[in-house]
Amino acid sequence: MTLATSSSLYRAVQRRRNRGLLGLYIVVTAFLILYAVLFPGILSVGGFSKFTQNWFPLALVAMAQALLMLNGGITLAIGPMVSLGAVIAATTMGGPLGTFGGFLAVAAAGLCIGAATGAIVALLRLPAIIVTLAGSFIISGVALIMLPRPGGFVPEWLSTLLAGHTPMAFLLLVLILGLWKIFLATPLGLGIYAAGDNPVGAYRSGVPIDRVKIVSFALSGLLAALAGLFVAAQTGSGDPIIGTPFTLNSIAAAVLGGVGFLGGKGTMRGAVCGSLLLSVMINVMFFLGFPPVAQYVAQGLIIVGAVAVPELLGRWRTNR
Amino acid sequence: MTEVRPILEARGVFKGFFGNPVLKGIDIALQPGRVHALLGENGAGKSTLINLLSGALTPDEGTIAIDGKAVARLSPSMARAAGIGVVQQELSLASQLSIAENIGLGAYPKRFGLIDYRALARGARDVCELVGVTEPLDTPVSSLSLGRRQMVEIAKALFAKPRVLILDEPTSSLSAHEASVLADVIFTLRDRGVAVLYISHRLNEVRALCSHVTVLKDGGITADRSLDGIDGEGLVRLMVGRETGALFPPRPDIVPGPLRLRTKGFSAGIVRDADVLGHAGEVLGIGGLVGQGQEDLLLGLYGAIPARSIETKIDGQSGLPNNVAAANAAGIVYVPADRKHEGLVLTHSIASNIILPSLAKLARRGLRSRGAEADMIGDLARQLMIKGDVARPVQALSGGNQQKVALAKWLPLDPGVLLLNDPTRGVDIETKREIYKMLRRFTGEGRLVILASSDTPELVHLCDRVLVLREGRVVLELRGDAITEEAIVGAAMGIEADGETRIVREEVAQ
Repeated sequence: MTLATSSSLYRAVQRRRNRGLLGLYIVVTAFLILYAVLFPGILSVGGFSKFTQNWFPLALVAMAQALLMLNGGITLAIGPMVSLGAVIAATTMGGPLGTFGGFLAVAAAGLCIGAATGAIVALLRLPAIIVTLAGSFIISGVALIMLPRPGGFVPEWLSTLLAGHTPMAFLLLVLILGLWKIFLATPLGLGIYAAGDNPVGAYRSGVPIDRVKIVSFALSGLLAALAGLFVAAQTGSGDPIIGTPFTLNSIAAAVLGGVGFLGGKGTMRGAVCGSLLLSVMINVMFFLGFPPVAQYVAQGLIIVGAVAVPELLGRWRTNR
Repeated sequence: MTEVRPILEARGVFKGFFGNPVLKGIDIALQPGRVHALLGENGAGKSTLINLLSGALTPDEGTIAIDGKAVARLSPSMARAAGIGVVQQELSLASQLSIAENIGLGAYPKRFGLIDYRALARGARDVCELVGVTEPLDTPVSSLSLGRRQMVEIAKALFAKPRVLILDEPTSSLSAHEASVLADVIFTLRDRGVAVLYISHRLNEVRALCSHVTVLKDGGITADRSLDGIDGEGLVRLMVGRETGALFPPRPDIVPGPLRLRTKGFSAGIVRDADVLGHAGEVLGIGGLVGQGQEDLLLGLYGAIPARSIETKIDGQSGLPNNVAAANAAGIVYVPADRKHEGLVLTHSIASNIILPSLAKLARRGLRSRGAEADMIGDLARQLMIKGDVARPVQALSGGNQQKVALAKWLPLDPGVLLLNDPTRGVDIETKREIYKMLRRFTGEGRLVILASSDTPELVHLCDRVLVLREGRVVLELRGDAITEEAIVGAAMGIEADGETRIVREEVAQ
């Protein structure tokens, strides 16, 4: 097959990139059906809204993690960044900055802390896992200093808007995925893939790999901080340690979604699907009455399976 | 002839790494419409010079000038913008991206800040047509063979319409056909006024393509002259700086020893129903175009990929080894083509790499015995003429010396059968000669060497017997004086052996 028209190149490339996700789609759909059978309330607007609101922050942090994994990195500072986002939202929105000012403060904090982390990783050539581990301690500390115990203030109307009885969270997620798609069609966005896959080659081809890295850390920080803002709106207050489980869950979701650890492999769509799968799995096990410990064990087994099955399938195919 | 103004120049550049001077005051001028050869042994500084010319490195002293104007700090993106295209020896492709996205990488056409996929497709299709890449443009590079990737790499360099094209060993992974397509491309570009810098270890290629040559030796220049009136021997002399004997050791006139290897109906990977015999003291060559099953044959014999046969006897034992450990135990060792990924642990020292397969043998009561190890390391390093401190990491060595280490590490196991996959690819002439001598010494000790090679002269002059593979089948067996380039190339390409089959390089020469 050759390309019929040149305009179809973009679509052909996208199709190929997303082709491997079919299996994931099937699994996610199966779990969603199971969920709907167990809990038919999801089929109402209110139920759907509540469901997507529970999923939304996980989807954001999965994207934040996948962005860096695609670039050949990883971050352990997701959870603390979520906490800090929540804390900043809860401490600024009642003050002179107002709600919008508070939103800007959260976004700016995410971008700046992310960019600073990225700059350290890129310019000093330090491993991302160490730098973000250090960053996670610092960010947690700052969040605890700003708000030593849960509290603060998030305006009622914002909670209603984001976490009320409307599927606002879902729409925001669609919007963010759309923005990512556009970003990926820019040289800088595609550079994330190229630099993650073959950094030396990308550098020699004229891709500004340091800039790409700093931008991806900044965007990752932004997404995590916004997830924090959402959590604050959901709970109506700030909690300096609320983000903790998100660090490992973001990695789990990205891995479930087929994002590789070595860079350049995977899709944002996959990561979001992975987060949906994780979210549905947790809910289903909850409704089936699994004790929490069994939930963790099952979660772990499913993640290992998700990585092993495609690998085994691939081996089986090449040996045939 | 008046002096043409060069497009790209290095003027008196110096460059060193960790206090080791690599280039010592090099001048090179690339003129439009000229194919300029850059020759030199591995470690002579060729790669460093290319990296300076393409902005990947900055010189310690001296300047890089484009169109006669010195550029203060050339970066790869600046170089690409100035029309300097580079085809690196190590591929610069992102394997998960499509052919088209790789071709445009770093120079995407843009519309409203987005990549203009329509223009990208047009441009990519043009260059793909030129170099004969026929796969759909949305194919991910990860699904292409090494040779095809190299062609994509070349298309990528052409995409930005370069005024200077630098090719570093472009043919090392290409089939003969792809190499001849490349030669046509180079001539087309030359006639359009592009300045081409061509680096290769294959002298006949250089003689066919280039008109001017710069020879590097130990970081200095030993020649900067026209290629007219200088023969291959003369070039080799300039590279090694002294008289050279014949590249290949004489083929000993011995009767082959007893059978070490006999397999009937052998199949592995794409190899089907091969019958292979190997005698003690013999170099058995495996030839053919790239990817016709040479590697599968070696890996199958080595137990590294599933293989089966009707009957196999290796050193008296029946059956093929089931895994690599069994093969090693049976005295079969393998030296991979991709020494960087499969053959060596690059960041570890030369000594650790040499000793790795022998650790168990030298251990006493499960503990390592440092004294015995040190003796063995010293002994091997001397035998292999590996110069310098063995505590250095292997990656500090030139490609040829790395290959020697990859070979050396097996010797203490006293292997009876050595399987070598293109051991001299990208290796300079002097090291090639040392490797050839080494192989002959092994056979002199009664070992069997099976050598898959993409370098036809190597098969002709080094091997006692040659099997030619095409599409996984043994299509020809040659021995002694019957081994000729014509016969091998002809069988590999599926053409009768006659004068016509030498097209590959000869046509280019006209």
